[in-house]
Amino acid sequence: MPEAQALNEEEFRRLCDFLYRRTGMVFSEAKRYYVERRVVERMSATGSGSFASYFARLRTDAQGEIEQFVNAFTVNETYFYREDHQLLCLTTDLLKERLRHKRKGDSIRIWSAPCSTGEEPYSVAMWLLENWPLVDEYDIEIIGSDIDTAVLEAARAGIFGKRALMRLTPYLIEKYFTRLGEENWQILEDLRTSVQFSAANIVELSETRPYGQFDVIFCRNVLIYFDDASRRIAAENLFENLLPGGFICLGHTESMSRISPLFEVRRFADAIVYQRPAGST
Amino acid sequence: MPLVRKPTGKGAGPAPDASSVLANLVSGSADERWAAARAAADVPGAVTAMAAALRNERDSRVREAMFTSLARMGTAESADLLISYLRSDNANLRAGALDSLRIMTGQMRGLLPRLLGDRDVDIRILSCELARILPGPEATALLSTLIAGEPEPNVCAAAIDVLAEVGGPAALPALAACAQRFSDNPFLCFAIQTATDRINSQQSSPRA
Repeated sequence: MPEAQALNEEEFRRLCDFLYRRTGMVFSEAKRYYVERRVVERMSATGSGSFASYFARLRTDAQGEIEQFVNAFTVNETYFYREDHQLLCLTTDLLKERLRHKRKGDSIRIWSAPCSTGEEPYSVAMWLLENWPLVDEYDIEIIGSDIDTAVLEAARAGIFGKRALMRLTPYLIEKYFTRLGEENWQILEDLRTSVQFSAANIVELSETRPYGQFDVIFCRNVLIYFDDASRRIAAENLFENLLPGGFICLGHTESMSRISPLFEVRRFADAIVYQRPAGST
Repeated sequence: MPLVRKPTGKGAGPAPDASSVLANLVSGSADERWAAARAAADVPGAVTAMAAALRNERDSRVREAMFTSLARMGTAESADLLISYLRSDNANLRAGALDSLRIMTGQMRGLLPRLLGDRDVDIRILSCELARILPGPEATALLSTLIAGEPEPNVCAAAIDVLAEVGGPAALPALAACAQRFSDNPFLCFAIQTATDRINSQQSSPRA
């Protein structure tokens, strides 16, 4: 059983170099203990007797080890209003820009892919209803997609436990949910029927193209798990699914600049997002 | 409620026919060239058409899609075309080709020995970076052989940088020999020491 604090200096640097190249995650010496703890956990879980054998496993992504390793560093569970600074950016800046190309009554299309069990697209819906004064003046279409049909069924059912609601105020819970027993809440039918859920693999052009073009895409915490080839293909698919001038929001550990030169980086007060250049028709 | 739900058209449209893909690669509008470039990976004979199209393509978006399609093809023919762009004077083409080759592990395994022995120094430098995608023992063997006789310090530096990440103990003799050959090059000596320390740390680790 490997012990904690067991990575020597050279192993730590080797691991950090690899992680940066592969995932874009950066760890300074100050994070060394944090990194070591997770390496030790994964070495134990994979039965790796040495860092060298674990590192070889990680580099070759044997049995999806990169996903497992990244999971050890990130918050895997999804919940309402996660990374809500991006939602704030949506209503403060992104939609404002998108409206320059629209008239009252036009559609605003927002895609959450992958949407998992629905917390993200429902969060977008609730956020807009609560925080965007122009919400009644446009047709807002919100679609959630995921490769996993089981999570889509759960999303459609809209039943969530206490942890999923931890970032919501009692006011929002009262307003948008119905309590089901002690531990669960179901999102109101009005919202459930407003958000559309359907299956899509963002690496498959034949599955993404039928969705048409969106003003904003939330594609958070998934590209980091893909290999380089899949990331490039997904980036091109998502580019095609954006209207010219449309925006894509990634997870906070992800960077489109490391994946594809197709998008422009936009730095707003509350978030960094990526934009399909307005001139690319 | 102002939120609306509209039917999303499921089912892809008809697949573009091969002849229109090939034609659009060179003569379509930017959008048509982009669509053709994306579809080309599934079209027989598209490598030849893309070879011609890439030379003249000025739209970076279309170029990017062509490079992705060539990588998706993953054939010896598409790899050869990409390698030819490693020799380009155009930095965008070189970078695009390198990125695509980086994701073609299967093809690169067979091609790297030849590329690492290329007469062009720049090709050898870029090929070192491509060796990074191989499993450690394979990369170690290839790059150790390279630095054992490589006269160009910049090529050695590129190889050593990769060995510092993926190299195993089998690289140590070649690294030592390289340090001796370039003992008057402080940067290379430093890089070799770093790589050597990293490799040695695996051997000296109590858990190894």
